[in-house]
Amino acid sequence: MRSFMDFIEGPTRTASLARFMLCAICVLGLWQVLATYVVTNRLLLVPPMDVARALRTEGVSGALWTNALATVSAVAAAFPIAVVLGVGIGLALASSRFLALTVGPMLTALNSVPVVALAPLFIAWLGLGFASKFVIVTIFSIFPILVTTEVGLKATDKILVEASRSFNASRWQIFTTVTLPFALPFVISGIRVAWARALVAIIVAEFFGSFAGFGFAILAAGQSFDTATLLAYVIVLGVLGLVGSIFFEWLERRLAPWRHE
Amino acid sequence: MANAKSTNALSIEGINKVFGRPGKPTVEALRNIDLTIKEGEFVSIVGASGSGKSTLLRIIDGLLPATSGVVKVSGAPVTKPGSDRAMVFQQDALLPWKSVRDNVAYGLVIGGTPKRDAHATAMRFIEMAGLKGFEHHYPHQLSGGMRQRVNVARALAVNPRILLLDEPFAALDAQTREIMQSELLNIWQKSKTTVLLITHQIDEAVYLSDRVVVFSARPGQVREEIPIPLPRPRDLEVKRHEAFGALVDKIWHLIEHEVRSAVADNRA
Ligand SMILES: Nc1ncnc2c1ncn2[C@@H]1O[C@H](COP(=O)(O)OP(=O)(O)O)[C@@H](O)[C@H]1O
Ligand SMILES: [Mg+2]
Repeated sequence: MRSFMDFIEGPTRTASLARFMLCAICVLGLWQVLATYVVTNRLLLVPPMDVARALRTEGVSGALWTNALATVSAVAAAFPIAVVLGVGIGLALASSRFLALTVGPMLTALNSVPVVALAPLFIAWLGLGFASKFVIVTIFSIFPILVTTEVGLKATDKILVEASRSFNASRWQIFTTVTLPFALPFVISGIRVAWARALVAIIVAEFFGSFAGFGFAILAAGQSFDTATLLAYVIVLGVLGLVGSIFFEWLERRLAPWRHE
Repeated sequence: MANAKSTNALSIEGINKVFGRPGKPTVEALRNIDLTIKEGEFVSIVGASGSGKSTLLRIIDGLLPATSGVVKVSGAPVTKPGSDRAMVFQQDALLPWKSVRDNVAYGLVIGGTPKRDAHATAMRFIEMAGLKGFEHHYPHQLSGGMRQRVNVARALAVNPRILLLDEPFAALDAQTREIMQSELLNIWQKSKTTVLLITHQIDEAVYLSDRVVVFSARPGQVREEIPIPLPRPRDLEVKRHEAFGALVDKIWHLIEHEVRSAVADNRA
């Protein structure tokens, strides 16, 4: 038991996979027990096996793929744009005092507005479908990226900049060899947060109006009391979020190993 | 111990520095500093903390403009950093995302040396710093003493005529410090660069230098210059000489008063 605990709390990749599997099995087990003995109303909760079956049905009928295409294409188009714009705006704010003083507070104010609440407005402007999803996802996920970019660039160790200047580095050299590498892990953690927000945004956009997508499918399943299908799509979304999060965390560790020891 | 007719590697003429930001009281950090250092000479500055030592080094390196006065390197006034000077900072200033080799090569690469040549030179200095085998390590994987050696190697790699060292060994334990001092002496004896070292360790200053400059507390002024006529090459034995102890005592007496007033100042 002792050595098992040592293993499971260890830093290895197998250990972290084992932790995850263990956790997943516990949740599934609890869920199964709950659905079998406690919440027997199938409108409220269905056991995991039913959810798996519903997922399979969706896959076979092709609905899963149609919805995946609609959702993923919108996110795949909007997210890189959000990253580019976010980093660009963050850069501009960090390098210009004037912009930081004028545009900065406005962006902060905008950020505290729950932008998703504006989704119906965007849909009214841009119609149902790709364009409105694209804009909602971009706007909603841009903020964490621009904020962390600005913070990361401004947080750069003064002494590192001075050391670089001491070698007569040009402004551009200082930027590429000191400021940017210093900010990079900040930017990536912003992107990680933005990824989660992008998934929220796409679902909300699809709730308010669309013909296809995970949000559309969840809403449709909810309205027809098909709890199994609803949960199947939620799980697919969860996996999408998790994969992104793990990927960006891995990237952050790779790019900034010194920040993790 | 350069010969008598050698030129001044560095001359500091009437340097004043007053820090001032709008809405804040100004700080007079340096007052009327005059100091000349000969080619190949090893000079140390000792003084209470806050007496403007780091500020002076930054001005010499070209990182900070003086309020008035000039610094000349081999007769030419300093306006910005240049490859004729290299600085080792009081704080660890290695780039954490670069390997030891890339850190040591950094100044060369910034100066336009092709990467391959820069890496080859870096390897020579890594070896000289006793860090062979660590060239692909990252700073966070090294001990404090090793990191500081990388800092020194990085400065030496650009082959500066003047090496500026700002309390480079302050953060190290006593043993590591002694080893680093000997290594610095070795390197200096081989390369014959001019060295200006800041330290608050009086015995370190006496052990290494041809001359020790004592600063008064804020505003920093040159209180006295003490030549150190101990024979070279020096090894740790020299620290047991009577003359060594006498010099340390003399400087300590000069500085004691300043340190006390600085401490009182900081309390106030
Ligand atoms: N950038 C700065 N702005 C304002 N005051 C400064 C600045 N740098 C140093 N000082 C002040 O100048 C004085 C000398 O500082 P410093 O050169 O670091 O002293 P030392 O290295 O001898 O300890 C201190 O009082 C310090 O607070
Ligand atoms: Mg200092």
